[in-house]
This record gives sequence, structure tokens and C-alpha cells, in this order.
Amino acid sequence: MATPIPVTIVSGFLGSGKTTLLNRILNSDTGMRVAVMVNDFGAINIDSELIVGQTDAMINLANGCICCTVESDLIEQLSRLINSPNRPEYLIIEASGVSNPAKIVSTLRYPQFANRLSIDSTITVVDADQFADLEGDMAQLAMEQLDVADIVLLNKTDIASPEQIAAFRTRWGYPGIRLYETNHCDVPLSLVLGTGHFDAHDLEENSLEQRQQPCVLHHDGHHHCDEHCHVGYHHEAHDQLFETWYWECEQPLSLSLLRSALATLPTTIYRAKGFCQLAELPDHCAVLHLVGSRHDIHPGEPWRNGPRTTRLVFIGTRGGFDREALEQTFSVCIAQSEVA
Amino acid sequence: MTTSRTDNTETSHGITRHADQAPTNLPSADMVLTNGRIYTVDEQQPWIEAVAIKGGRFIAVGTSEDISERVGEHTRVIDLDGRFAMPGIYDMHTHPDLALAPGYAGYLDVGIEDPTPEQVKQAMLDYAANAPADAEGWVYGAYFVRYTFKQAGIVANREWLDSFLPDRPAAILDRSWGCMLVNSKALELAGINADTPDPRHGYIERDSITGEPTGILVDGAYALIHAAMPPTPAHALQRAYGEAVNFQSGRGVVGTKFVHVCEHRLDALKAIDQRGKLSVRVEAAISWQDDIFPVKRRWELMAGERHFYRSSRLNANAVKFHFDGTHESRSSFLSSAWPGESSWRGHLNLTPEHITDMVADMDRKGIRVIAHCTGDGASDLFLDAVAEARRRNGPNGVRHQCAHCTTLLDENLPRFKDLNVIAEFSPVGWYPSSFSYARAVFGEDRMQRAYNFKGILDNGGTAVMGTDWPVSGFDPWVGFEAMITRENPWGDEDGRFYGEPISLEQAIRVMTINGAKAMEIEDRAGSIELGKFADMIVLDRNLFEAKPRGNIHNTRVEMTLLEGQLVWDAHGEFDGTEHEAIWSREMPDF
Repeated sequence: MATPIPVTIVSGFLGSGKTTLLNRILNSDTGMRVAVMVNDFGAINIDSELIVGQTDAMINLANGCICCTVESDLIEQLSRLINSPNRPEYLIIEASGVSNPAKIVSTLRYPQFANRLSIDSTITVVDADQFADLEGDMAQLAMEQLDVADIVLLNKTDIASPEQIAAFRTRWGYPGIRLYETNHCDVPLSLVLGTGHFDAHDLEENSLEQRQQPCVLHHDGHHHCDEHCHVGYHHEAHDQLFETWYWECEQPLSLSLLRSALATLPTTIYRAKGFCQLAELPDHCAVLHLVGSRHDIHPGEPWRNGPRTTRLVFIGTRGGFDREALEQTFSVCIAQSEVA
Repeated sequence: MTTSRTDNTETSHGITRHADQAPTNLPSADMVLTNGRIYTVDEQQPWIEAVAIKGGRFIAVGTSEDISERVGEHTRVIDLDGRFAMPGIYDMHTHPDLALAPGYAGYLDVGIEDPTPEQVKQAMLDYAANAPADAEGWVYGAYFVRYTFKQAGIVANREWLDSFLPDRPAAILDRSWGCMLVNSKALELAGINADTPDPRHGYIERDSITGEPTGILVDGAYALIHAAMPPTPAHALQRAYGEAVNFQSGRGVVGTKFVHVCEHRLDALKAIDQRGKLSVRVEAAISWQDDIFPVKRRWELMAGERHFYRSSRLNANAVKFHFDGTHESRSSFLSSAWPGESSWRGHLNLTPEHITDMVADMDRKGIRVIAHCTGDGASDLFLDAVAEARRRNGPNGVRHQCAHCTTLLDENLPRFKDLNVIAEFSPVGWYPSSFSYARAVFGEDRMQRAYNFKGILDNGGTAVMGTDWPVSGFDPWVGFEAMITRENPWGDEDGRFYGEPISLEQAIRVMTINGAKAMEIEDRAGSIELGKFADMIVLDRNLFEAKPRGNIHNTRVEMTLLEGQLVWDAHGEFDGTEHEAIWSREMPDF
């Protein structure tokens, strides 16, 4: 069976900047065949040179991406996309600005999509000004959008006053919220899309020392890391925004302690991925996926011969986390010997 | 409207009994309605002015003058003052219990807009302390808000519920009805564990490593809990059906089918009937499958226990089954692949062989089979099953009913007449609206021949309507108008919906005599004819005098008579009299 297609859901009120983010994705070269499902084409703005074909319901782009409108029957539309000969490598779904995005998240978890789609992330775009005086149905919708959010993009921070931003945090914040402040949704795409190619192969092929080489994002978009860097965060034209931290451990970890540790990570860590050796799952490696405030640990392949090493990589804002404290946090996850 | 007794020589309505009039030995009527514009649905005599009623039947129909002979000393005379009247109407497929009873069951209502986890906990504990005896210990209700749990840093899972309700089954719905949170006891009673497969259209949230359920059930997974819960309490079912028949009488309905019942629902209907409040003739169709609610005594009911409920107003001589899925979920079973698909034709819930043997067996027992068939492939197989039943049992068996008939194959249109099968449609949504267009998913070619009321009628078949509440609204007059216009009754959207309209005369037959045929009582009901049951409605307007669009749906029913009994009296004119209506002045606003 083909690997599951990662999906990012973009939620937010009308006017929050969702479309700006989608336009940004459509006009960039992600190196993947991306399908973007939007509510309507009206506000979509694609460089005309990129468009190679267009119908009422679909735009084909030169970079292999497609943009289509969300149909009334999402289940059917998803089934068709998954089974099409031009199966997308990544899926982005725009949630309607007026309906509960949890419906889409739930649908993607239906049994018929298990092993075929996997939710990479749910991004909620927020305009602090719109959240100032919400009541009734709109307040409920805001809660639904924040409930499903893995990462909240606080957009239009050039317009919002510091008081508005503070008020947003006070009323709407929650423990562990990943609130990323931005203007015009100008965010590194690797924050919102799980495009990092740090898979099993990379983690096994490269030594810890090689991977601990500094790898940063530079303004000019050229990557300044060495040839062994396989983290996909260095192709973005952004300031030195992010850094990575790796952790390795030979001893089995306790699932519950690991979950607690992940739930209390500094909010400056936005993504993590890797493999774990769990005491509760002795024969299989466990795959860890963390985006913003949500993490998922599920059983992976059986361990091959050789050391059963936990290898995790964390991505966070540069200078935003304390490596020693993290080291401490994860060392206490080691399962006690009687459990192991 | 004015009424009078006939003790006086001259009534106030111009009906005069002259002292010198020859005494007649014709029996005098209990009630006379005179001086009206009465459309009878009897082709021999479509328009009359007056009727005389005795013992629940029409004993004379004709001109006001003809009928004056039937006015005796104790006859109640009602002057229609030129008003329009017609036979009572029929809603042949509806579900008031599903629409109303859950709301009347006395389940927990936290009653706070954005309750915190602490407030949810307190409300559940308070409810548990005073839980109704018939709840078998269940703490069930609405709602919690997942976001407030996130804000409080609490994971909404069964461990949280177990921490304060460890021994009693507890389930609480999420505000947006996207999920349900249940405790370990509820999971245990519902038999949900790591090995339970996910239901269709939903899932059991599980621990990603152990596979154990977390306590969150999404969409279709609710049904697993509902199946484990005690049935909807009797008081809620009685209130639901009671309000429903009040509404129906107020809208002129004299015959209806409550499609999907179990023993508890039949008990509730019988209780209302015994109180004299069943103001509509009800055919209740026993549920063949347990997909909506469990029917524990299905086989006893089929074998004969159903007769225990029988009266002039109530019968349970029907079964209802779900043959295929729905258009919304693209599970309607079509005769060819769905648009955009190479092979997917939809889903049959039961095999064709199962249907065939079942229809033949029910037919032999005199039980009507009502088959939910939205796709043209499902109705095709259902007609085949009826054909086989006719072959085995002879051609004169029960009139079976094909429900919804959303799309039909053209070649099947004559088969409805040939096989004596009722084609039932759901026209309440047949007008341009975002709802109806969202359901118009069969592809343009099939949509052009969808909702083919006219095709059935043109081929001599019997077409009837059902409101299918709560899937669409409960007011049959909206469907009455829409089947004639296929336009938006409120003018909210322009244009005409799919399908060919039918004429007003055809629509009136659909609403009246065809309903009586679907209940197999057309020899004694469904039209205003000598000897038939005195079922009649008096309206605030003449349907023939105004353009149907924007007019028929808001017709007011001033009076409804069922077997000569006044069951609805809009102005309360008969309050306090011997003819006092079962329902007067007020009807529920659904």
C-alpha cells in the first residue's frame, strides 16, 4: 500500500488571511505534487504563467500541483483524489470560514481513510481584531477553530496593537498553545506543511555528530549547512528563525512519561519527529509525530537487528529553548528497569 | 364560521325548514355542513355544496337544498358560508418520534453556554443524584465543549469521567454534536473495547499504542452507545406522538404512516389511542432492522402481537426496512455507477434474496412492506421481489410501498401499476434551496428524471407523499405546493427544481384518495362520497382560485373532521359543546 498522503487543514474566519496563506502555498515550489482544496476560486490568485489548464472545478499548475474547489461531498471527493492516477503527494484542505473544521478533521479519521490519509497539521489563522468581541455562534465557531488547531497563526500583527494581542492570549489562549505571530501569513512553509524529509533513512544514515551541525534558515534562501543535512527546513527564504535539536537514547522509554514530556514541551517547539523504543512495545519501533500542541505516537515497523535507538528531532524557534532542560525532560522518560 | 342547532324554524344560516315541508322518513343527520364549495375527489360529482353525516359516514352529499332534508331536531348545522372544503389529506411517511422524543426524554442539559470541565462535572453529578428511575442509572445528556477542556489543560477522555462517575454509565455529547464522551462503564455496557470494529461513517477514538478506546466516539459511533441505553422513555414517546397528531390534525391530515416503530412506540400510540387522543388514522411500520433503534419483540409482533394494538385509528400491519443508503452519503443503490465512479453503485443493506423471501413471507401474512429505496437500482430489485411474491402468493396480496423513489428507471414506471405497488415520494424539499441542491447529487442525467411523480401517474400508478420529518419539514402543505410548482414557496430562490410538476387536480388526488389507497381504505375513505367515512377539511381559501405558488403552503385548515368527529377546530367554536374538537385553537409550532 502507498504511504498515507499527509494532509494540512487550514481553518480561520473569513478575512483572517487564510487565502493569503493558500496563495502563498500555490505560488511556491514545494517540490511536491500538492492538491489544494479551496472553498471558491474567487480569492485565489495564482501567477498566470503557472496555470497550464483550468476548468470550473480545477486549476492545473505547471509545477504539478492542482487547485480544486471543495465539493459538497468531501468523502467522495477525497476517495477520488486518492485513487486518481495523479495521486497528490500532499493535500491541503481549506475549511470553510463559517463551519466547524472539526467535521473535516473527523472525516479524515474515518476508517476508510486509515492508512491512506494522515493529518499532518491543522493550522488556524487568526486576526486578533476579529477575536476581540466575539459572542454567541461566532464565539462557538472560534472555539471550534482553536480546539482543532495544532498551530495558531496570529496574523496581521502589523495592524494589531500589543494590547489586542495580549487580550487574545488572555481570553483565547490555552496551555501549550503554539501561537506564531506573522504578517500577511508570511510563514516558513515548512512550519505549516510537514515537508521535512527527516525519515527513517535519514536518521539511520547520519550520525548524531553530523546531524548536530548547525542548520539554520537564512534570509537569502541558500542553505548553509553541510551536505549531510537532511532537514527540510533550509530551503525557505526566511530569517534565521528555526533551529533543530536531536535526542538519542539506547534505553527503552515509558510511553506515559514520554507523553507527559511531550505535553509540557516549551511552546517554542513547533514540530518533532522520530522513532522511539518503548517499554510497552518491545518488538516494534514507535513513530512519533508532533505538530504544535498535538502529538501522536503509533506503532511502526518491527525493529531490525542492531541497536534499538530512540532518535528524535525537534524544530523550534531559534534561541527559544533550553537544550539542557530538554535533555533533562527526556532523560526522565527512561522506563524503570522493572518495567523494561 | 357560524353554527347553530336546528331547534328553530329558521336557522341563522339560511337553511329553512318550512312548517309545511313534507315530513321525510329519511334518517336525520348528526351533522350537516352546508353552503360550501366542496371538492369531492369523486369524478362522478366533483363539486357539491353540502354533506350530511351520521354515524361517522356521509349519508348524503349534494346541493344545500338536497341536504336540508337531512336536518333533524338534533342535527348540528354548520354553515360553510361559501368556504372551500375537501377530503382530509394523507402523510404517508414520517417520523415524529425521531424528531421530538429525544428532546422530551429528560436527559441531562448542562444549561451553560460554554461550560468549563468543572461545571460539566458538577452538572453530571447533580443529575446522577436525581436521575430518573427509568434511566437505569445512565447519566446521558448534552453538552461539553472540547475547547474549554483544552483551556483547562484537561484531556476529555474516559479517565476523566471515571474519576467522578466510576460505577454508573455516563455519556455526554459535544456541543457541535461531533463527538460523544463516555466513561468506562458505558463502554463496557456497549461492549466497546480494543477489538470492536469501527462503525461506518464514524470511528472509535483509540489509544494509538494499545488500541483501547479513549472514551471519545465520533459520528456513527454514537449508535453503539444508543443501542446499549434503555429505550426512549414512554412519557417522551407519548408526548412526541401526541403533539405530532395535534399538529397533523391542525394541518388537515386524517391518515398517516409512522414509519419505524418498536414495541415501546406501539405502546405509546396505544396509550394515546385509549385516551381518545389519536386524532389521525395511523399505520405504524415495525422496523425490520435495528439500525435506528433496537426492536426487541420484532418476531412476536410479526407473528400476531401487533393485533393487540389494533383499533379503528391504529394498525401495525406494516414493516419498514432500509434497502439502500442515502444520496447525501452516495450510498443510494443505483442501476449503474455513481457519477465520477467506475464501479461504485452504492450500497444495499440487505441481499436481494433476503428481500425477496421477506416480501413474499410478509405478503402472505398480510403485512405491508415499506421499502426505503432512494436509488433506481434498489427500487428495481424491490419491484422484482414484489413480482416474485405475486407469483408465489397470487396477484391480490397487500399493496406494498416503495419509499422515497428518489430516482426510478423509466422502464419501471409501468410496473408500479402492474404489481400494485405504491410509489411514495418526499416532495417537501422539492424546491430550489441550498438544502435541496446539496442533495441533488445523482448527476445531471439522473437528476433530470428524478422525483418522477408525473411518470408514475401517467403510467396509471398510485403516487403518494410523505413529509419524512425530520429529514424535511413536517408540514405536508409545503410538499403539496412543491409537487405542483417545483418552485421555492417563499420566493427565497428563483428557478424551478428538478422534475416535472403535476396539476392541482392530480396533486389533490395524491394528497387524498391515493393516501387512502396506500392504507387500503379507498373503498371507505379518501373522497367525499355517499357511504364513505366523513373525513373532510375546511380551508381558509379555495385552492382553485389562486395561483399555487406561495399560496398552497400557507393554507390554514379551519376544521378537520375524521369519521364525522371534529378533531381540529381552529377557532374553538365548538369548545364546550358536545362536538368539542380533540384539538382546538392551538397547535405545536414545529
